[in-house]
Amino acid sequence: MSKPAPKTKPAPTKIPGIYKLDCVRDVAESLNIPNLPDAVASALASDVEYRIQQVVEEAARFMRHAKRTTLTTSDIDQALRVLNIEPLYGHFPHNPPTFRRALPFPQMQSAGSVYFVEDEEIEFDRILREEKITMPKGVSWTAHWLAVEGVQPLIPENPPAVPKEDTEGKQAAATVLPGGKQTQQQPLLVKQTLSRELNLYYARLTSSLNPQTSDYSKRTAALASLRHDAGLSPLLPYLAQWVSEGVVSTLRTGSQTDNDGKMLEVFLDVISALLDNQTLGVEPFLHQLLPAVFSILLHSALPPSHANHLRVTAAQILSHLLTHYSMTYPGLPTKIVKMLIVGLIENKKPRQTNEGAIRGLMAIGKEAVRLGLVDRQGAKIVGEKCMPGEQSTLVDLVMEGLRMLHPPSQRPVPLDPNSGADSAVVERLRTQLGDFFAERVIGDSAWARGILSDDAAGAL
Amino acid sequence: MSAATPAASTPDGASSSVAGAPAGESSSGNVSDLDRMVLEYLRSRGLKELEKAMEEIEKSAAPADDKGKQPETAPSHTISQEELIKQLAIFAQKPANPDENAFKDSSSVLQELSTMGNPQNIQNLISSIGPVGAEEILSLDPTDKHEGFRELESWVDGSLDMYRPEFRPILFPIFCHFYLDLVQQGYREAAQNFYSTFSPSIPSIHHATLHHLSTITLPYHVQTDEVAQRFRSEKYTVRMSRSGFSLLIGWLTEGFGGEPTGTGDGFSGEKGKRGRAAVMRVVNNHLRFDVSASSTTSVSPLTWEESTGFLSAVVPQTNGSNVDASAYNSSKGELKLGPAPISEELRAETERTLRDQAMVDHDPGAQYDLHFARPAPPAGLASPAISDLPPHPPSFKTVDVKREVEKVRDARKRIRLDPSALTSASLNTPQGAAARARALPSICAYTFHDVGEGVPCCEFSPDTSLLAAGFSESYIRLWSLKGEKLKGMRSDFQMNNVRDVSSINKIREKGGSTTRKLIGHSGPVYSVTFDPIGGSGSPPRYLLSSSADATARLWSLDTMTNVVAYRGHQNPVWDVKWSPMGIYFATASRDRTARLWSTDRTSALRIYAGHLSDVNAVGFHPNSLYLGTASSDCTARLWDVQRGACVRVFYRHDDIVSTLAFSPDGRYLATAGEDLAIRMWDLGSGKCVKKMTGHTASVYSLAFSAESSLLVSGAADWTVRCWDVKAAGGLPSKVKENGTMVNGTSEDHPPEKETESTET
Repeated sequence: MSKPAPKTKPAPTKIPGIYKLDCVRDVAESLNIPNLPDAVASALASDVEYRIQQVVEEAARFMRHAKRTTLTTSDIDQALRVLNIEPLYGHFPHNPPTFRRALPFPQMQSAGSVYFVEDEEIEFDRILREEKITMPKGVSWTAHWLAVEGVQPLIPENPPAVPKEDTEGKQAAATVLPGGKQTQQQPLLVKQTLSRELNLYYARLTSSLNPQTSDYSKRTAALASLRHDAGLSPLLPYLAQWVSEGVVSTLRTGSQTDNDGKMLEVFLDVISALLDNQTLGVEPFLHQLLPAVFSILLHSALPPSHANHLRVTAAQILSHLLTHYSMTYPGLPTKIVKMLIVGLIENKKPRQTNEGAIRGLMAIGKEAVRLGLVDRQGAKIVGEKCMPGEQSTLVDLVMEGLRMLHPPSQRPVPLDPNSGADSAVVERLRTQLGDFFAERVIGDSAWARGILSDDAAGAL
Repeated sequence: MSAATPAASTPDGASSSVAGAPAGESSSGNVSDLDRMVLEYLRSRGLKELEKAMEEIEKSAAPADDKGKQPETAPSHTISQEELIKQLAIFAQKPANPDENAFKDSSSVLQELSTMGNPQNIQNLISSIGPVGAEEILSLDPTDKHEGFRELESWVDGSLDMYRPEFRPILFPIFCHFYLDLVQQGYREAAQNFYSTFSPSIPSIHHATLHHLSTITLPYHVQTDEVAQRFRSEKYTVRMSRSGFSLLIGWLTEGFGGEPTGTGDGFSGEKGKRGRAAVMRVVNNHLRFDVSASSTTSVSPLTWEESTGFLSAVVPQTNGSNVDASAYNSSKGELKLGPAPISEELRAETERTLRDQAMVDHDPGAQYDLHFARPAPPAGLASPAISDLPPHPPSFKTVDVKREVEKVRDARKRIRLDPSALTSASLNTPQGAAARARALPSICAYTFHDVGEGVPCCEFSPDTSLLAAGFSESYIRLWSLKGEKLKGMRSDFQMNNVRDVSSINKIREKGGSTTRKLIGHSGPVYSVTFDPIGGSGSPPRYLLSSSADATARLWSLDTMTNVVAYRGHQNPVWDVKWSPMGIYFATASRDRTARLWSTDRTSALRIYAGHLSDVNAVGFHPNSLYLGTASSDCTARLWDVQRGACVRVFYRHDDIVSTLAFSPDGRYLATAGEDLAIRMWDLGSGKCVKKMTGHTASVYSLAFSAESSLLVSGAADWTVRCWDVKAAGGLPSKVKENGTMVNGTSEDHPPEKETESTET
């Protein structure tokens, strides 16, 4: 017992025979007892195993009473002490010894693998020079509210209410699955983790934001509250969900009534208000809010009375998002631009979608417009949809975008298709912008060069 | 010994020789024939050693004498006729039943043999048979155990649904005995094979025991291991209905109801019969059947559970008769569970103070305080008289009055938690939110930072002015929660200079901080507790701690020093608790005892012995007449503090019981531990009221709310759970989880309700 047992770390001795005969024989040889009979060795091995188990069982008691769930070397020491065995000194729970395998001995194959305890060599000079020994701070405690009247407050010390969201998801799934109806989603949103006050606030807020049930002044007041009030962060997940689901359900009906338009306007206002509020951390919910913005921007069947306004607002929100969150949310610009370009250059997309995409690109900036209209040939695709000589918002938008790339000159000098340099430009214009828009640009050589050239200043 | 597999003394052989005994003379004529037959038989069985021994015996031709066991029968041809008659006379003394095998009790045979003057060889033989008895030698074939258990299991599984829950519990003890038999007889491989084949069919609650047994691989271990010896020396009780028992007997004797023919060797096969015989041997020697008239279906599973196991060891036996826990509990009579009385003078003084203060404060609510000062005795509980309590000082002090006054005030101000409100209201409505506020407590979690090896325990003082934590690094740390400086005394003062309060204040230390380290123990501190005399009225003056160094220590909070070390336990002291009225305290230790001490004596007043394993926790009943203990032997007990006798056994948990809590109204005891379930026991009857499951790791602490309506538990799964005491037990349909993170002990302090958490 004395020698071999301590060497092995406490391991689950589930399968009999973890302590092998060879170990016993090795120990015997080290004690100068060669040729130990097998029967003796195996009996000793089982005895050692039994003793290890005894020590481990004893140590587990100390572990339990120390209210720990991991066994440490100090538990083993305590166990050995009560079993009236000399404890093993020199083992600490903080730095358990590491066993390394030695390189094989080529001259002595029979030796087998040899293990040794790694002993790090420490340069005394280096320690003195470099290591700053700091005194530990000592034990301290902090107190926080784990629960207030049975509700866990959402403070950093408490874990996020993850299980609750799970149940919410389940409930949503449950309501969707049976009938495929999703109409009664909104009232279910607020769950018990909100305090009574916040619950009340949420109910009042959503009702006063609804244009059907409230007037303009109430709405502005509600939005102002969203924009400036602190302490709304517990509500944020619910508001984000309310917005995204509201947008989806409004657009899905496709009724294009005046009311729907107003509702969508409200949703956009809520989003921009949330983004404006300095006290909120909206970032984690961007993935929930972005689809709502995109849906409004790129949807084909917006209520006609509000379509323009809605798209402009959505585009503004996008630009706001980009300026504020592109640093902290890596990949946000590329994600947005990609979405918009897809909306622009996909052949099957309706005109309204193209319109929204161009507005979005324009809100983002010059480079995005150039990428969409010229490099990815968005203008060409749009132009192919247009009747020759057509005048529409879409055409105006494209022209506006082109103007944004490079301002047209005061006194336009037309491109000369006969001169060599100019004809090359015309050729490029036709391939990049398509015939429809090339015709419109061709009258201004500086503008055309500006549009085509990546470096506008160089063309001047 | 390993080669000795003699069916040599099959019951048939034995009875024939006995039956032949009265015939007397005729046997002496054909002894040589008999001798030869025996030799041939032994040779055919390949038992060289026995054969040689016999030949030696024959050669020595000593006057040996024996019968029954065949090796011993052999030399009888040399016995003179008179001697033979004399020796056989003991069998002739039982003419009433000549067929009975007088050698059934093998130990008596061996005893008899050894008392007779036998030659050396036979003595050797006998000693090699050893104390396990000759019966064991009959069962040396390892395969019959394998076969027997397989048959038993298939019989249990094939039995009717209504009997299966009755039969299943017998698998475990038979499995253990078979395994131990195989180990003891040296069939190590067979034992391991047996274990790996059949251990999956044993229910998981026995896994700890099984695991322990699996490490036993040598006969020597069987003889020294405690668990193995318990199986060997004590009877395992299994409860069974009358019809179920007769079915079992039928199977054991005739093989009725076994597996259908065609699978395996069948019930009629020779192997099957030997397997059943092996089962029968265990059943006869090591099991005790508690046959009840009631059928399985009419008895709750809990009752079945509590009447299985080593009842005779766990339940103290009074006069030789075996009783189970409920019978024992009812035999101990009524308990006085009512609230502790307080002396009339103290009560009068308390009321006077309350009235005075109400006058001074012009507090209109205070007049109702008097109503709380005299609580009505609860219905159905016998209240103790003052003379029943452990002796306390006859006169009361200012601190006592203060405590009683505060107690009355607390009772008035307290938030009354009523978890039953939760069941009626749905939580999404505003009414539901209101109900929740009424039903659930507010919990304040204290988190310790930068602890080294851990904080096994922590405790708030009853007036919440101090927090004490015991550390694995053998010290205790105190914090003042009010931000006051904790000052000790200077050591350089003259005793005769101390006259009044101001001179005491002079010798206090200057400076100091809001935290203080108490050093004295030499092992991890497992429990700390503040003295309850001050109650919530005034700060505590003493602290008790217990540690792995086998001592409990008393610390004075005036001088911040260790005053007394109480020695007496042989092993680590797991828990220490003050009695509800101070002066006395109880400790629980690894040495399987709980002890009662008073602060002014360094030796224990009472020792409560009887648990079969560590006592993990102690707790006083609120009226201080009884002491509860929770032990690693899966039981909790209730002791009469003064008589030192066990008055209730709470049997049983499936695993170690590590914590307990008494309800403040004195009716219930809640226990919990490694089996993750919290059990509520009715103290009056000793019966399990309900089992509450939900925790996913071992439960560390339990606490009741002040009006006994809510139970809070803290566990290693980082959750604090609130349980409705009054609701019916069983698994709730859905637990409302908040995903809390707590590790450590929890403690309720009305009115604030604080939960402490140790470590992060």
